[in-house]
Amino acid sequence: MTTETENIESLVNRRYEHGFVTDIDSDSLPPGLDEDVVRAISARKEEPEFMLEWRLRAYRLWLEMREPTWAHVHYPPIDFNEISYFSAPKSDKDRPKSLDEVDPKLLETYDKLGIPLHERARLAGVAVDAVFDSVSVATTFKEKLSEAGVIFCSFSEAVKNHPELVQKYLGTVVPQRDNFYAALNSAVFSDGSFVYVPKGVRCPMELSTYFRINAANTGQFERTLIVADEGSHVSYLEGCTAPMRDENQLHAAVVELVALEGAEIKYSTVQNWYPGDENGKGGIFNFVTKRGDCRGANSKISWTQVETGSAITWKYPSCILRGDNSVGEFYSVAVANNFQQADTGTKMIHIGRNTRSTIVSKGISAGRAQNAYRGLVRVMPQARDARNHTQCDSLLIGKDCGAHTFPYMEIKNPSARVEHEATTSKISANQLFYCRQRGISEQGSLQGITHGICRRSAESAQRQPRRRRRLGTVNA
Amino acid sequence: MTALALPDKALATAVQKLPDNALAANRQAALARFLERGFPTTRLEDWKYTDLAAVADISQRWLENGAPVPSSASIGDRVAAIRAAIDIDWIVISNGAIADGMDLAGDDGLSVATFSELAHAPGFEHPLADLNAALLPDGLHIRVRAGTHHDRPLGLLIVDGADSQPGVAQARVCIELEEGSKAQFVEYHASIGEADHYANSIVELSLARGASADYVRIQGRDGHHTQTHRTTITLQDASTVRYSGFDLGGQLVRNDLDIDIAGKEANVVVAGLYIAGEGQHIDNHVRIDHRVGPARSEQEYRGILGGRCRCVWNGKAIVRPGADGTDAEQANHNLLLSERSEIDAKPELEIYADEVKCSHGTTVGQIDEAALFYLRSRGLDKQDAMRTLTRAFGASIVSHSPIAVLTDHLTEMVEGRLSELTDGGDE
Repeated sequence: MTTETENIESLVNRRYEHGFVTDIDSDSLPPGLDEDVVRAISARKEEPEFMLEWRLRAYRLWLEMREPTWAHVHYPPIDFNEISYFSAPKSDKDRPKSLDEVDPKLLETYDKLGIPLHERARLAGVAVDAVFDSVSVATTFKEKLSEAGVIFCSFSEAVKNHPELVQKYLGTVVPQRDNFYAALNSAVFSDGSFVYVPKGVRCPMELSTYFRINAANTGQFERTLIVADEGSHVSYLEGCTAPMRDENQLHAAVVELVALEGAEIKYSTVQNWYPGDENGKGGIFNFVTKRGDCRGANSKISWTQVETGSAITWKYPSCILRGDNSVGEFYSVAVANNFQQADTGTKMIHIGRNTRSTIVSKGISAGRAQNAYRGLVRVMPQARDARNHTQCDSLLIGKDCGAHTFPYMEIKNPSARVEHEATTSKISANQLFYCRQRGISEQGSLQGITHGICRRSAESAQRQPRRRRRLGTVNA
Repeated sequence: MTALALPDKALATAVQKLPDNALAANRQAALARFLERGFPTTRLEDWKYTDLAAVADISQRWLENGAPVPSSASIGDRVAAIRAAIDIDWIVISNGAIADGMDLAGDDGLSVATFSELAHAPGFEHPLADLNAALLPDGLHIRVRAGTHHDRPLGLLIVDGADSQPGVAQARVCIELEEGSKAQFVEYHASIGEADHYANSIVELSLARGASADYVRIQGRDGHHTQTHRTTITLQDASTVRYSGFDLGGQLVRNDLDIDIAGKEANVVVAGLYIAGEGQHIDNHVRIDHRVGPARSEQEYRGILGGRCRCVWNGKAIVRPGADGTDAEQANHNLLLSERSEIDAKPELEIYADEVKCSHGTTVGQIDEAALFYLRSRGLDKQDAMRTLTRAFGASIVSHSPIAVLTDHLTEMVEGRLSELTDGGDE
């Protein structure tokens, strides 16, 4: 075996660090899905009538829909009746008043994951909402945020305390009938995060949510809604992990972003769900719908994602550039190894005048993984002077993996300028030789070249030190 | 029954009416498969942007009329005009029937025969190939003997005409280049007549070890006629194909070019130009399948869109496991001249091997304002300046056409079409 192969092996064989199970009492619904389950979830969350009706409508729509098969991924059929649609740590019943009352095992879990839930949160200046299985367990820095008028709470609390905001914006970006998994999520979502940043407010700190699937045979269906009112600014980071289990678990989330006039939302994801073992056994099926609506003029939505986990990823964070002069950005690094399959990318829908979008996608495939970029750039007839630039690069490490590119460009206005570039290659012997002759070890050269490929996406995350650290582990 | 099916009985009757030759049994098998699947619909990924409802409608009306062989009084004039413009040897397939040129078979290594003479049953693996095999009166088989070189291009003129009643015609050509042979082909699609017409044709080109083909396809159908056309090219070791396609006419046009690289050191160069004006829909799907490596493929398509029209370009390069040493490049550039034109471009890469170099680039834009200003500052009016720049955009594809004898005719055709598009511009 050559040294180069050994280096690749070490990259490919990196163990999943977050695969432990927390032994904690949980209150779960039995597996299966029907209207009663939807009603039970809504009842447990003590939701108002409008939420129940909304869920039931979604459930009925879902029954009429078919599971999508167009993605470049293969997996055994999912039996939606074998999944439990609600699981909550029991201690939720007498919900903690402060973090001191949170189940220490939970805190220990987040501690293992490096989530700055407590004191460290203050030092890190990050407000965190943590979602454990299906419910939100703790939100930090609520008071400090509320001084600025920012609402940052679990979705359940938002439904109770700010029903008018939820009712006004929920489903306006990702409607219930949007797609099979969005409909399922709309019916059974159990919690998630809610953010409202009032007019002209620059959110005083980075917001962060950490998602954790713990219980077996459960699906996680969280829903995030972020509304940035006129002239406001918010930066949000989500991360996710799950235990190592032999069976696949379903994660079908929905994220909706609304940016009103002059507002800016920066949404970053570190997706590190359990990817399955080296033989492709187990892992999370990550079927997620994320969409941002630049509803007002001069608004901006920026998605940054580092995708390293999940057995299967099906995810296209998108921007609807409705407002004139609005801007959409998508920066992605997707790393797939062993038997992981990723079909991820973005959609940029140009509707307003003078809208601009940038897409930078870097895919790295190793082992027997299949990594696909799928993107859509659509310029509507009324979208005068739209601009898009897409750069899409794939790197192959090993003979048995695959890298694919499926970009769609639908241009209906002649003033549009749209450019798409893509390359696929392996790390060339010349690149390695160049680094080696400058005294860098083979391992270091391999890491350096891979980092170079991901650089632009990583740069957009510079203000997020924790994500930088995670990106670092990709090549460790 | 799907939304785009044809009536079973009428179609079966149309098949029965065809000449009773060696293809009869094959037609029945193809018919059964077509009846099962019908025309592809927009629900299929490959047909997302092209709706064949108009094609199904013409076919249906043709069947209702008793599926007559289409005819046009002017078809002879059209053929004569093309012969006069391009001085090469032509085989003419007129409204699906092999009409002229079968005497070209000679001792110089070229043999021409019909499918029925050879008892060659055309394959069917796609709904439109099923329809073609079911309704095909007869096909044309061309063989280029091993080691022979043919510098004079051979023309395949697929011409259709329908004066009073809707017409449907099938054509199929199979070309085999044996080991080390070399030949040039011009495939010309034309149509004439006031009635609606749907032409469905297939060309299969296979190149044995070391063979080389230069191939130019020109589509200049009448502006209210429809076409679906499929070309398959298979390359063995060290073979080369240089292929150019020009789409200038037709109302609804769909071309599939499917290239299968089955041999090492094969070399593929594909270029295409589509020019669409008012009411046109032109769809080009190109699929290059690198089954083995090393091999090289390169494709560049350019599109010029004016008026209310829609063009589709889908370029796909597949690199199979083990096809190491593959070098695949794709480029697609589009110029939009009208507020109501639409381009749907999809450059795809599907890569399952790591010793590869693949890239694609796609652009959509309009004439550069600075270039326009430059020309106008030198005294050209806006229309002339636009025409000059548009012509320059398409010229690279014309000038790279692998058959030199066509250049003048192509230039004239392209310029004529561009004048029609740009003359609508304001001062």
